Amino acid sequence: MSLFSETMIITRRNLLKSVRVPILLFMSLFQPLLFLILFSQIFTSLANLPGFPYDTYLQFLVPAIIAMTALSSAFQSGLGTVSDVEDGMLDKFLIAPVHRISIMTGRILSDGVRIVAQAAVVIVTAFAMGARYETGLAGLVVMIFLASIFGMAWAGLSNIVALRTQNAEVTMVIGIILLFPILFLSTGFMPTALLPDWLDTVARFNPLSYLIDAERALVNDGWDWSLVVQSIVVTLGLGAVTLTGATRAFRKAIS
Amino acid sequence: MKLIEVVDLYKSFGDVRAVNGISFAVEEGTIFGFLGPNGAGKTTTIRILVTLSEQTSGTAIVGGVDVSADPRGVRSRVGYAAQATGIDRDLTGRENLILQGRLHGLSKVDASTEAEAILEVISLAEVADRRAGTYSGGMAKRLDLAQALIHRPNVLFLDEPTTGLDPQNRNAMWTYLRKLNDDGMTIFLTTQYLEEADELADDLAIIDNGRIVVEGSPTELKRGIGGDSVTLMPSTDSSAEDLEVMATAMRALHDTNGVEKLGDSVVVYLEDGGSRIAEIVRAIDTTGVQLGRLELAEPSLDQVFLKHTGARLRVEDVKPPSRMSRNRRHR
Repeated sequence: MSLFSETMIITRRNLLKSVRVPILLFMSLFQPLLFLILFSQIFTSLANLPGFPYDTYLQFLVPAIIAMTALSSAFQSGLGTVSDVEDGMLDKFLIAPVHRISIMTGRILSDGVRIVAQAAVVIVTAFAMGARYETGLAGLVVMIFLASIFGMAWAGLSNIVALRTQNAEVTMVIGIILLFPILFLSTGFMPTALLPDWLDTVARFNPLSYLIDAERALVNDGWDWSLVVQSIVVTLGLGAVTLTGATRAFRKAIS
Repeated sequence: MKLIEVVDLYKSFGDVRAVNGISFAVEEGTIFGFLGPNGAGKTTTIRILVTLSEQTSGTAIVGGVDVSADPRGVRSRVGYAAQATGIDRDLTGRENLILQGRLHGLSKVDASTEAEAILEVISLAEVADRRAGTYSGGMAKRLDLAQALIHRPNVLFLDEPTTGLDPQNRNAMWTYLRKLNDDGMTIFLTTQYLEEADELADDLAIIDNGRIVVEGSPTELKRGIGGDSVTLMPSTDSSAEDLEVMATAMRALHDTNGVEKLGDSVVVYLEDGGSRIAEIVRAIDTTGVQLGRLELAEPSLDQVFLKHTGARLRVEDVKPPSRMSRNRRHR
């Protein structure tokens, strides 16, 4: 069998599992949706500040929420890996005559698909709240794609933790601890012009900012290919590091 | 034809030699039993044979394929069910089976057909579309066995297939395994139950501390004991000398097949033991040692185990080992 078809079999199984236990799907959606609803109300008057680029805070916020969804969903990836170890499913995969790396690629790909569905929910919810998308359906497809590949890259990190610790609690807690710093030390919630200098500098080193900036342009300003490409390049760079790390952690865990 | 050939297999975890130079062979169509207590090296050996672990040294050939040289070749030829069941609780029994079939290279249609057939054989057809998480322990074990069979392997490896099952489910499992074997399946199983080894195994290796201490068919092994055994234990307040005195008295008896000191007891092997109890008791009596306990046993695997390891095989009621700790320790 090819690595591709093996990956598809495992991806399909992971997704089936997600659908069977929908609570996990909602867990990583709950906070983003809560933030979307609360922040868009609480910070409504930010839009009146001089220098605020858009008509409503909601328009500004939506890209950050899409990115947050990808991030928090990706942090869950390792939990699936730990549960496969605990349930004996990892051994069941290892005993099959497949490329062993398909266990990892199947895991990451199913995360990507899950994020597509979750990002779509966020987009529709925001639309219902009054958000409008400048680049239309094609733009939405690109936005979801960017969020999905970013999430897959980030899922690598979650799996490094999962495979090194083989402990669900640790994997979950590290996700929770890291989520907010990464989220708020980005360009997500305040225009850079209004951020303190140090935070602006930190945000520039945060890969999440590149995803948010590209999405923000697509939501509000139109097709900005340079931002889209930047986001893809940053995601690929991040993914190269995290997925290499995850692969090594995986090989070590099964040796 | 030999389906499994193991020569001088060693496996160390740090300073611990879990498998300490074992060699054995399994003939096609037979059931080979690996009998031993927890920690004897059974699981380590089975994990090497199914390519989940690598040996430190030695060779293992399974289905004509070297496990080190071509692990994927081995994987397509073997079925394996671990001691702790490996099933996806969120999928149905049928979905679990199809998944395993697909991972072993069956087409969707073939995986479905095979799953259907096997669900029937293993008496899970009625619950096939229920989530595996709702299955009882016995059903989960059977599903796990079915998963190991879906791709029609040449050899089936079962690590303690009945540990944790109640007697009824254990008997059911034995029936399935015997039927599989009647249909030609070669089975390698580990067990810590003497009765199971006796019931199922054509050939048996007793493993203790990483070594095979004795090997043969259950009948041969029992015959090797030398008839019935009478186990004599001095009363609790006796000394080591008392044990020696008892052993000397027993060695003086005629027509015994051997006398051994095992732990805090003396064992006398002899034919037709029942008729000679009085003689034995009289002999002890003349020594002045207070006899605490006497046991007469027909040749059994229990006796075989005792003779070759110097200890009784005690079955601890085990929880399945945590996979996580096991994986971390690479066991």
